[in-house]
This record gives sequence, C-alpha cells and structure tokens, in this order.
Amino acid sequence: MVTWNELWLFALPAIICWAVAALLSLRGERQKAVYLFTIVGLLIFGSYIAMMWISLKHPPLRTMGETRLWYSLFLPLVGLITYSRWRYRWILLFSTILSAVFIAINILKPEIHSKTLMPALQSPWFAPHVIIYMFAYATTGVAMLLSLWQLCRKQEQMTAIDNLTRVGLSFITIGMLFGALWAKEAWGTYWSWDPKETWAAATWLNYLIYVHLRQSRPAAVTPALLWQVICFLCLQMCWWGINYLPSAQGASIHVYG
Amino acid sequence: MTEGGLVCLALMLVGIVLQMAFGPVCWEMMAWPLNGLALLLLLTGIALMHALRGRIALFRWMATLHAGIPALLMCAMMTILLGVTRQVPAGHVSAEPIGITSMLSFWPFVLSYVWLMLLVGMVCASRLVRPKKQNIPFLLHHLGIFIALVAGTLGSADMQRLRMVVQEGKTEWRAVDDHHRIHHLPIAIELHDFSIIQEPELSFSSDVTLHAKNGIIGRDTVLVNKPLSAKGWKIYQFSYDEAKGNQSDISVFELVRDPWLPVVYVGIFMMLAGALSIFLSKKW
Repeated sequence: MVTWNELWLFALPAIICWAVAALLSLRGERQKAVYLFTIVGLLIFGSYIAMMWISLKHPPLRTMGETRLWYSLFLPLVGLITYSRWRYRWILLFSTILSAVFIAINILKPEIHSKTLMPALQSPWFAPHVIIYMFAYATTGVAMLLSLWQLCRKQEQMTAIDNLTRVGLSFITIGMLFGALWAKEAWGTYWSWDPKETWAAATWLNYLIYVHLRQSRPAAVTPALLWQVICFLCLQMCWWGINYLPSAQGASIHVYG
Repeated sequence: MTEGGLVCLALMLVGIVLQMAFGPVCWEMMAWPLNGLALLLLLTGIALMHALRGRIALFRWMATLHAGIPALLMCAMMTILLGVTRQVPAGHVSAEPIGITSMLSFWPFVLSYVWLMLLVGMVCASRLVRPKKQNIPFLLHHLGIFIALVAGTLGSADMQRLRMVVQEGKTEWRAVDDHHRIHHLPIAIELHDFSIIQEPELSFSSDVTLHAKNGIIGRDTVLVNKPLSAKGWKIYQFSYDEAKGNQSDISVFELVRDPWLPVVYVGIFMMLAGALSIFLSKKW
C-alpha cells in the first residue's frame, strides 16, 4: 500500500533527475543524458502514480492533490517534447521548477481522501476526461511561461507559443467534449452551465480568441502575449479557482476535496 | 475590428432594450414546431446572405475575422459574467431587476451567442461552396460547433426531464417535471427491488420491468452511469428513500427525452475529429 507519506521517496529522486537534465540542457551538453535523466525521472514519478492507482483501486484523480500529481508528471513531459522540438535550453529548468512547486504543495499540504468514489465518478469516461485536461493544463502552462519570458526578455518565442497553444486548445476541446458525452451518460444532459462548465467555456473561448487573433494580426505580438496570461488565469479559475468563488459555492457538481 | 466591436456594442444595447421591453427570453416558447421554423429561417438567412455577399459588403465582412474576433470576445465576456454571478435555479425569476442572475434567459447573453453562430454559419457557407481537401479540418471545427450549438440550443425546449417515483412491487406510468406538473408517459416502470451495492464500489441499483402500452418491453437493471433506453426515453437511476437506505422501498428515476440529441452528437464528433486533425497536420 502506497500512501501520501511515501510521496517524497519517489518525488525527491524524480526531481533530482529532472534537475540534472535541466542543468545539462542549460549548458548545452550531452543531449542523450538530458533525455535519459528526464525519462528516468518520469518513470520514477509515474510508478508512484501507478502504485497510488493500485492501492486506491481507482485512478488518483478525485482530489485536487491527486490531480496535482498528474500535473507534476506532465509538466516535465511537455517540457521534454518542447525541448526535442525547438531545442530551448532553459525549458526543462522551467518545467522542473514548476513541477517541483506542485510536488512541494502536495508534500507540505496533502489532501488525503480515502473515502469511496461517488457513483457518478465510476465511469470509463472519468480517467480520459481528467488526464486529457491535465495534459492540456501542462501544455498551456508552458505556453504561458514562454509568453512571460518573451514579455520580459523580448526573445522571439511566438512559433513555440502558437504551437503549444494549438495543441493545448485541441486537448481542452477533447477534454471538454468528453466531459459533455460523459455528463449525458451520467446525468442526462451534456451541458448544464454548471460553474465548472461555464468557466471551461470561458477558457475555451479565450484560447479561441488567441488563435484567431494570431491569424488575423500576426504583428500584434504584445496583445497576444498578454492574452495568453488572461487565458491562463481563466484556466486556473476553471481548475481550482471556482472552489473559492462565492458564486459557485454549492452550485457545482464538480466539487473536489 | 472596430466595426465588429461597434456591432457587438449595438447588439448589447438591443439586448438590454429587449430585456426591458419583453422580459427574459422565453425558451419554453421555442418548443417544436417553432424551433424547426427558427432553424429553417437561420439556414435560409445564411444562404441568402451568402448569395448576396458580392453586392452587400456587410455580408462579405460577416465571414471575416474582423467580425469574428469581437463576437468571440463578447461571448467570452458574457460567459465570464455568467461565471461570476450566482444564478437562480432553472425556471426561477431572476433575483435582481436586470436579469443577470438568470443569464441563460438574459437577452444580451443569448444575442451574443446567436451573433457568433450567425458568423460561424457565414464562414462555413463560404468554405462549403468551394470544397477543398485542406478545408476539411476548418469545416470540422466550425461546422461542428455550429451544428452542436444550434441543435443543442434550439432543441433544449423539446428536451423533457421528468422524475418518476416507483414503489417496490408497483408499476408507474406517471412522472413529474420541475414545475410539479404530472405527465402520463407511453412507457411504465415496474420496480421489483431497489438495493445499494457496497462491493466492489458503492452503487445503487434497481431491478425493473419496462412496460409499453402494447405489452412488456423487458426486464433489466438500472445503475448509476448505466441508464436504460426505451421508446426514445432514457431512464436514469436518480435517487431513493435516503432515510431508509438499503431498506428503501422506493426508487426514483429520471426520464429524459431529447429528440435533437443525434444532431448534437454529429456536431460533437465533428469537433472531436477536428481537434484530432491538428495532430495530423504537417504545419506543426
């Protein structure tokens, strides 16, 4: 049985692996070692999630703490994909730091829930819906980091930001539609403007604005970068912000622990 | 873009005037056949405007991003407004004089989405006329959301959601809606047994026989996440007598009929295909 108490035993070696890879890529040496260390870190952390899955007897996706685990896993993965594609030396350092922050939150403030899964969540739609969303969050998270980087350092990153946003938006679309199909199966309506759904729609619309704005005014770089930040804030509201939003209290069926 | 913003602003004002003059949007009025008529009007309107685009600059402009981006922005802002205001339950009168606590019936909200769909329809028309292979992902995205949103919105008035309470050993033909009106249905549920399953995972289950006017449909089990289908109705396990728990001698079902659903699904699957096509494109 693996519990939250064992998280640091896996997280620490994983973060060390990712940090070594990040430093190697920052110095621009030993590309094979960069891949190797990142992948070993992913395997270590992934095996913790797998063991949690087995001991919980359901995918660890129910609580905020559990979804954070996936986010911590996907960030270095998206970082590595971005690195392999565009050779940004510092991207792995970013993704490692962000991932480590989320792991630290989980270690310092674990939200332990051993209660049985509510019946509506016992569905084959459950795992794909949340995992796809977590991957989208990680992809758009990296896009937002690149936007901030470009805003501060004035280094051209638009190709990568655009591509990551397109991939992230596709995943958001798939996650949202899977949610709709699942909701139809479980509650009889595919869309009921529940606060979570409303913010998912707002996030989706804002990323659509970004994509269309880039097409319409490619030269308007600063507004596009600022829009990335707005999109990401919307996403955060959708992910966990609504748990604290007064208008959503007691009105959402998407209540995480 | 400025024109697009002005049109959106004008639409907001029109919406507010309509809200003050006629009150909130009455979705129940949109039930069949009125929604069918509205669909016909919308599609003919789009086709006509598309045909006249050579002569009228406005119709040409409607299929461009200069019109589309402000429309998206207006929808995003209305949706965020919906996200930050506490809504009254469906079917209730808004809690303040403006109407934003009943946003789904708030004219400016509805008009912003209608405008967006009109523009999406126009841009689809312009791409559909000259079908090209490279237009396929574009059409999957745009036509998909057009079909899903138009059919979902127009069809919402035809959707019926009823609750049926059945006692063990009894057969029930009646169900009630949100307004406590009783409906007599073409199908009936006979409940043999309700039970709460603890292992392997918590679930509720009802052993039932479904009846139609002309005889028995069949015996089956209704579980959470495993609804039954019969004569266009879907039957969901909804509740039970929570005070009695496993000893509950009643089971509450939710019965849903949604004749426009297949059309909505066509739109949803087109959007899914569109989202997947991005990974197949050579561009990135």
